[in-house]
Amino acid sequence: MRFDKQWPVALLFVFFSIGVSGRGSDNRLVYKKKYVMGTVFEIAAYGESREQVSAAIDKAFQEIVRMDDLMSNYKAESALSHLNRSAHFHAESISPDLYRVIERGVQLSKLSDGKFDITVAPLVNLWKAALAGDSVPSPARQQQAQACVGYDKIELIPPDHIMFRSSCLQLDLGAIGKGYAIDRAAELLHSLRIENAFLNAGGSTIIAMGSPPKQTAWRVRLRDPSHTIDPYVMLKNGSVSTSEQTTPSILGHDSPGHIIDPSTGKPLETQFAVSVIAPTGTMSDGLSTTLLLLGPQQGKALVDRTPDVSAIWLSAKAQVTTATNGPQILFGGKL
Amino acid sequence: MAFGKPILFLLLLSPFAWGRVFVRWSIAELPSARSLGVTDIVFTWNDGISPLVAAARKQGYRVYVEMPLQQVKAAAEAGVKAGWTGIILEIAASESKESEKQLSELQSAYPKLRFLVLNRNGKQPDMRGSLIIKRDSILEVSSPTAQPWIDTNLALIKVEQQSRRTQVPLYTFAWDDQGQQKVLSADDYSLAVAEAGAFHADLLLQLDEPLQRALNSHDAEAWRLWNQVRPALRFSSASTSQSLRPAVNVGVAVDHLDIGDEVLNLLSRHNIPFQIFLAADLKAEELKGFDVLVIFAKPDRETQERIKGLATGGTTVVVVDAHGRYAWQGSPPVQVNEHTISYAVGNGKVLELSEAVTDPEIFAQDIRRLLGKRNSLLSLWNGLTTIAVPYKDRRETVSLVELVNYSAEPVRVQMQVKGSFRAVRYESPEHGCCESLAPLNHDGFTEFVIPDLRIAGRVHLESQ
Repeated sequence: MRFDKQWPVALLFVFFSIGVSGRGSDNRLVYKKKYVMGTVFEIAAYGESREQVSAAIDKAFQEIVRMDDLMSNYKAESALSHLNRSAHFHAESISPDLYRVIERGVQLSKLSDGKFDITVAPLVNLWKAALAGDSVPSPARQQQAQACVGYDKIELIPPDHIMFRSSCLQLDLGAIGKGYAIDRAAELLHSLRIENAFLNAGGSTIIAMGSPPKQTAWRVRLRDPSHTIDPYVMLKNGSVSTSEQTTPSILGHDSPGHIIDPSTGKPLETQFAVSVIAPTGTMSDGLSTTLLLLGPQQGKALVDRTPDVSAIWLSAKAQVTTATNGPQILFGGKL
Repeated sequence: MAFGKPILFLLLLSPFAWGRVFVRWSIAELPSARSLGVTDIVFTWNDGISPLVAAARKQGYRVYVEMPLQQVKAAAEAGVKAGWTGIILEIAASESKESEKQLSELQSAYPKLRFLVLNRNGKQPDMRGSLIIKRDSILEVSSPTAQPWIDTNLALIKVEQQSRRTQVPLYTFAWDDQGQQKVLSADDYSLAVAEAGAFHADLLLQLDEPLQRALNSHDAEAWRLWNQVRPALRFSSASTSQSLRPAVNVGVAVDHLDIGDEVLNLLSRHNIPFQIFLAADLKAEELKGFDVLVIFAKPDRETQERIKGLATGGTTVVVVDAHGRYAWQGSPPVQVNEHTISYAVGNGKVLELSEAVTDPEIFAQDIRRLLGKRNSLLSLWNGLTTIAVPYKDRRETVSLVELVNYSAEPVRVQMQVKGSFRAVRYESPEHGCCESLAPLNHDGFTEFVIPDLRIAGRVHLESQ
């Protein structure tokens, strides 16, 4: 339920060594960055030659740009924007990627009983103006927008059609799109014989492929608002995402946050940041928002029934809750 | 960086051209000025510099020599004889008080030489990622923010404009290769050049030595790269009018003009048009047109009255970390949140923040909220990697907006400028001047879309 994830939601620190045997190995590491989806995507990858790695990274970025063209709700000409204009009571044919990411979004919505909901766009749009300094929307407008929200009004018609059973329903893939995009980028790198790479979608979602040379995994430091706990994970072929509500105003009344709770129709009030480790970027990205919305108690229950997933909730006052059904979360990660 | 001398708070009306690029050259031979597209070349002072100066002059350059202040007296005489155009000086903060007098004496003694003061504290303009590759073979994700982090020199230039008013700001920076031994691209150079031009400053640009050698030996690839930089050089130096000055409506008063203050950098990144000045100048100077005034200083009695007067007139004043009894505290205080108290004063208000700014990002967002929509001189959409600076003409009307896109990738930026404009024209290094953009006027603002901002752009506005 993020607007566009321009906010200080994430993460982490990752440490790994660049090669091990002098300049020859160093030269196989290539690092590139690109501005897409309103943030900076970065890829650091090892391969047989700099040229091979560089070309592969360029293709991975092209794939991320392609995903942005599909899923952006900022671009009026994106496939998603088109869908949000035209799929009301009318089955629309969509691309396999868009179908897949919406399908996964609906799965997460079901899994969380609607706490996470990819149809939250009307509420997000309503609160966006308030976050920029406008007055808080009236209860009537909140109610009106909330009535438009509900993943159960999405009808997915396999293999590639979708219909909205509401006249005002709109999709927002902001909480899952970057994760899906770097999953696709990682798949593409893999297909181009890149086995060891680190992909970062603006800090909020990370994918670790393989491991750095002569290391068993990538060491990733997790977001710690208290700056005292220093959690980290050793990540290999997995993903980490972090969600956190917007930091409160210093000079004004508390500004509404960018993460909206579909069940209340209002910005989420929470003191926690949450980091989620999962097998894929789509899953960690979607789950991080879901688990922030659910909070530690309900969230822990969700993690317990979701294989290969671990999560940590941390507050600025160093309150910690962990849920481990996958990779171990370690502590004391200061390097 | 502290400047003890009080500085007049009049906005700079520069008598000089800006956007000049001085190229620092470090190898023994060099291509001609015409082929490089640069006329000002800079060498570092040494005893055997004469043949290089002679060669450079023969190649069509104006030659500047860079040296510490202490060496100038010994070198200036030789410089006049050798035909130097000027001397570029690095002045340490500790020397700043004496330097103005010394500079003035030098200028009188050697009227044929130009003496320019260089600020070396610039940073490589860049859209930074959060992975940092260090020399000790470590990568780390260092930033918790998902919003692109922009390394910009705008705050440094604003400080220079205030602290050295007789000279267009001249700065330089060291390229940051983050331990990757990165080969600099045409975009890296173009962005550096574009930034200086857009912010109306001069840049001393360091060309890396491999590129200097390659250019000098007629390497085709090197010249292909440099020829991609040349449009930025032309665009940056093509100043449209020297009478323009930055349009601002946020004032920042400080005890010392210090670029180390991250708040200034964040205000710059958030496209908040601000003017920095010394708090001491609050008493003496005319302060008009500020909708928000931020005070990072403990105000004395006279300054308090000034603040009270500004607030009475409608300005929102933010006083940071200055505890005490103050002249504006006549009305009952309203606790805004755990850090901030508000006092209503006439048509405006004074907000007292009880602590130093711990999160400059949130503080900058708050300043934008305090300005509100009505007082936003300029707003951007899809402009997270873009810094835009509005300039106004003698009629106090915004007539130009300079833009720099730090992502160096084409973005479609939607812009709203306060004021009603009948025509909007867009100029860029790629397409020259000018493409007409469709303005949409509403409620005292003008909206338009820049379809394809790559690195630099310039918007010309014509009032109704």
